[in-house]
Amino acid sequence: MDAIEPYVSLHFIDYAIVVVYMIGSLVLGTYCAKYVGNADDFFLAGRALPFWAIGFSIVVSDIGATDFVAVAGAAYRNGISAANFDWMGSMPAMVIAAFLFVPYFWRSGVFTIPEFLGRRYNGAVQFINGVIWVFVQFVMLAVMLWITADKLMYTILGWNPYYTLWIVTLITGFYTFGGGLTAVVFTDVVQLIVMYVGGLGLLALCLWEVGGIGALHDRIIAMGPQYQDHFTLLLPNDTVGPFPWTGIVFGLALVMAVAYMSGNQLIVQRTLGARTEWDAKAGMLFGGLLKVFIPLMVAVPGLCAILLLTEPLDSADRAVPELIRIYMPAGLRGLMFAALFAALMSHISATLNSVTTIAVTDVVGLIRKWSGAAPFTEKTALIVGRILTVFFVFSTALSAEALGNADQIYVFIQTVLSLFQGPVLAILLLGILWRRATGWGGLAGLVLGVISCFILNYTPGLFPSEDPFLFVAWWSFIFALVVTVVVSLLTKPESDDKVRGLVWGSVVKDPNAQAALQERVS
Amino acid sequence: MEERIAAFCEKVFQPILQPVFLPIDRLLNKIPTDPWATVCAIALFITAMLVVGVVMKESYVNQGRTKKVWYTDLRLWTVVCMLPHVLVYFYFR
Repeated sequence: MDAIEPYVSLHFIDYAIVVVYMIGSLVLGTYCAKYVGNADDFFLAGRALPFWAIGFSIVVSDIGATDFVAVAGAAYRNGISAANFDWMGSMPAMVIAAFLFVPYFWRSGVFTIPEFLGRRYNGAVQFINGVIWVFVQFVMLAVMLWITADKLMYTILGWNPYYTLWIVTLITGFYTFGGGLTAVVFTDVVQLIVMYVGGLGLLALCLWEVGGIGALHDRIIAMGPQYQDHFTLLLPNDTVGPFPWTGIVFGLALVMAVAYMSGNQLIVQRTLGARTEWDAKAGMLFGGLLKVFIPLMVAVPGLCAILLLTEPLDSADRAVPELIRIYMPAGLRGLMFAALFAALMSHISATLNSVTTIAVTDVVGLIRKWSGAAPFTEKTALIVGRILTVFFVFSTALSAEALGNADQIYVFIQTVLSLFQGPVLAILLLGILWRRATGWGGLAGLVLGVISCFILNYTPGLFPSEDPFLFVAWWSFIFALVVTVVVSLLTKPESDDKVRGLVWGSVVKDPNAQAALQERVS
Repeated sequence: MEERIAAFCEKVFQPILQPVFLPIDRLLNKIPTDPWATVCAIALFITAMLVVGVVMKESYVNQGRTKKVWYTDLRLWTVVCMLPHVLVYFYFR
């Protein structure tokens, strides 16, 4: 066994693969700019996306370069339970999103989820939701940029993190600026293929070395009592770690995952750009099928590392870099790093596009409306969208180091992301399923729900897990649901005209409502 | 800042919330993980399949379909996408 070395070395062929990949992404993304003529093209790809492109794009936008390292590290340390987020935390939520939420968003012709909430409830709900998403995604992007450039590429390859950060951001920003969602989605398709080839290559090599999945299981279980749960997905309720089965089933599968797949602009924007309602639903399902393989690529190598790396690691997150260094031949290493760049770039482009869409539609657009200014024309919205893309490219790159190095902010953002999803899901669900839900009910549910999240998260001794965000998500969802119902019943019902075509009954049973909706959209 | 918020919440909210959540935690701890965790997980996948395949109208599920052939039926797609997950949760139980 080789001793642990500080950096993984790349050969000429590896560099060539990474450079060809980068140039290819840039050329493809820039080529898509010729299809962008107005805001609809820029934000929603002209509503012409086929299901397969949507499915590919959803998966690759959801996976960051850090997933390859962090999830493998979690599997190395805690076992296969780390894979719950891609299995239990994806498919059921994607089916619910496909058949409950996506048809409504798609039929209502909105650009963003906050815009849908604005139509169903009121402008305040739209604005608060929009500001939360812009803030969270901006900071998440900055943090991911720095973690990938510094903690991943610098730690593994010894590359200057500033060069990595600026090169990747400028390339991705350039094609997102020009080609909008079309460029994002079609580069995503290529990036997913690169990611799968690199990831499955690592998986195949690791399984070959350990003697197959059966041998992996038997040899790890035989290592002693501390490894007995390494092949158990659902752990007992009183587990000290963050993944007890009750939290996974109720908090993750029924709340956090559904909120993520149905209320996250980064995911839903692809389905809003679908050419038909069928493509929107099919894209979600296809994405769910592709996600089955993600844990195999990111978690199983972490388990293999337990057997293959006999030298103790200073950090579990070193598991994948060490496997790459020791077992991957020249050429495949380049492909693996191209896969890591693909994961990062797809996440950057997806975030830039979705943040810009929300900023134009739900923040700047709403402020203009409240100040009495005329709404943006198609052409102006496109120009503002591109200006904001440039702004977000430079501001995230410039703030990446400060935000990425501040552990407290990273914890804070992770907490906020898991916290407001319960209340958002509650008002989305009631907005679609319950005609009686009112604007005041939605606003109270959102604001008090987020406050309840903070209280539940910061009050010690309420839940068995030391990191109780799954339980917080579940109970904040229930609380927001109750608040929205109570306040709605105490306030004046919305008029039929306002909710027509936005709630389940009127969409499914009333053809006149559909006609009115089409008229409103056009 | 975070420590101050936690101290405030412990003082103000813990006495109110702990009597609500501790009995629920005790109740959940009594439920045996094996087999109920796997049963709940697999039941979730099967319920989703049944709702899409049986409860929802075919016209709603496949709304917007241009080619009306068996392989574009999203009820079939739902089953195909869900089954690998059922097998995964059965294998890693």
